[in-house]
Amino acid sequence: MSVDLVINGLQQGLILAIIAYGIMIPFRFLDFADLTADGAYPLGGAVCAVCMSSGMHPAVAIPCSIICAGLMGMCTALIHLKFRVNSMLAGIILSTMAYSVNLRIMGKPNLALFDCGGLFDSDIGRNMLIIIALLACCVLPFAVFLRTDFGLRFRAVGLNPNLAKQQRISIGKYTVFGLFIAGAMFGLAGSLIVQLQNYMDVGIGVGILIHGLASLMIGEAIIGNATLNRQLMAPLLGALVYQQVQGIALSLGLAPSDLKFFTGSIVLAVIALKKMENKLK
Amino acid sequence: MLKISEIKKSFSGIFEPVLKGINLSLEKGEFCVLIGANGSGKSTLLKIISGEYSADSGEVRRNGGVSQVVQDVNKGTIPAMTMLENIALSRTKTPRFSFYKRHKNDVRDKIKDLNIGLEKFIDQPLSVLSGGQRQTIATLMALNSGGKILLLDEHTSALDPKMQILLMEYTVKSVREQELTTIMITHNLEDAVKYGDRLIMMHKGRIVVDMKGREKSNLTIPFLLEMFHKFEDQSLLHEGEENVC
Repeated sequence: MSVDLVINGLQQGLILAIIAYGIMIPFRFLDFADLTADGAYPLGGAVCAVCMSSGMHPAVAIPCSIICAGLMGMCTALIHLKFRVNSMLAGIILSTMAYSVNLRIMGKPNLALFDCGGLFDSDIGRNMLIIIALLACCVLPFAVFLRTDFGLRFRAVGLNPNLAKQQRISIGKYTVFGLFIAGAMFGLAGSLIVQLQNYMDVGIGVGILIHGLASLMIGEAIIGNATLNRQLMAPLLGALVYQQVQGIALSLGLAPSDLKFFTGSIVLAVIALKKMENKLK
Repeated sequence: MLKISEIKKSFSGIFEPVLKGINLSLEKGEFCVLIGANGSGKSTLLKIISGEYSADSGEVRRNGGVSQVVQDVNKGTIPAMTMLENIALSRTKTPRFSFYKRHKNDVRDKIKDLNIGLEKFIDQPLSVLSGGQRQTIATLMALNSGGKILLLDEHTSALDPKMQILLMEYTVKSVREQELTTIMITHNLEDAVKYGDRLIMMHKGRIVVDMKGREKSNLTIPFLLEMFHKFEDQSLLHEGEENVC
């Protein structure tokens, strides 16, 4: 495995970590099986691509992506809360709809952005610093929030909804807020990957949820999630490890078309290992 | 402080109503002990007062927030959170954008007041504690949540005798200090006689005994047992008559 592959893996792993954080919020803090990632991630990419191709500065295109994808996350929460649609179904419906929306936004299935001048250039070190800075901008305020009264109440929503109601916590408001933040993270990741690749394809979101989930689960398998700090470290660590494992598999001759099967196998293996560990306990 | 009028409640699949028109009025700071056989409707009444269940008919007027300790300790606490986080959560009814760790010293003092050595687990998840210890924390949460009405559903049932006494004494002290209007369900007749200003016995969805003042303070366990048996015998006789018919 070449050094380039490792460095590229780190770069992509950092972006994948943002997705894994977006998955962690509903799955681990809200007990909400949110599948919006498959739609919100390409939505973020599409908005960013269109903003950039219309001459907007790439740094301005990112907040636009964040807001649009965040609103999509909010819509998933509202569909679930107002129409009592199962959380997974709400996510699937919106992700399906997002595909058409993305095509409408872009006007075509893919957009090349080579002439638009994104945030990234050939200096990988600088690129990594930008991604790390943006990742920190997402994760650190959220980590601080979780340590406030509001954050404590936010965590209670997923851990014990009955007790949360007893404590007069508005489950609906916290769910909408949480899914907005998760969606915003997917949007940020979408816009970063588009700027990194200088290319946006409407199909980039297919299976992204499972990549993020695999990262989260690998991270939790390595350091656990018994404490808040460990839970907050797990997506980052998991995404970096997962991306390197994927790189190793590719360098050993795995066909790129088999990657999704490989990812699914990792998720299943982690689930099976956890079950076996619980049984042994 | 708490007024319950003509509360009725049935559950689908159960022929007989669980509550058949309950009327009850409690003053501020009044400590009421609620006893009765299993299935007499005690827990259902508490769940209606807390708002967890809605009554089929009747009205509940609460003049203040409700705090409660439920029988199932996993429902009343968050085992994945630390002891500090659990107790701090119960104090965040008017949340602020400040760190919840500001409660740490105060929470530690409250746990120390219990005098059972739990303070060393303040930063540990509740899942490492025993069921009885978690029940103690659940009680502490209810007593610190700022509610004016306190509902205790067999809150000492999972504890050993020594802990039961300690927690009961602590509960009574806190209830008196904060002037909480309290309803405590218990199957422990000794506690029923010893604690509270008022005793209510429920039988088959109705209040059959309501004692306070001197009558309550003169109450003895043998007398309470006699009343228990009297209502049990009456209902057996009644069921027998129905079967003959």
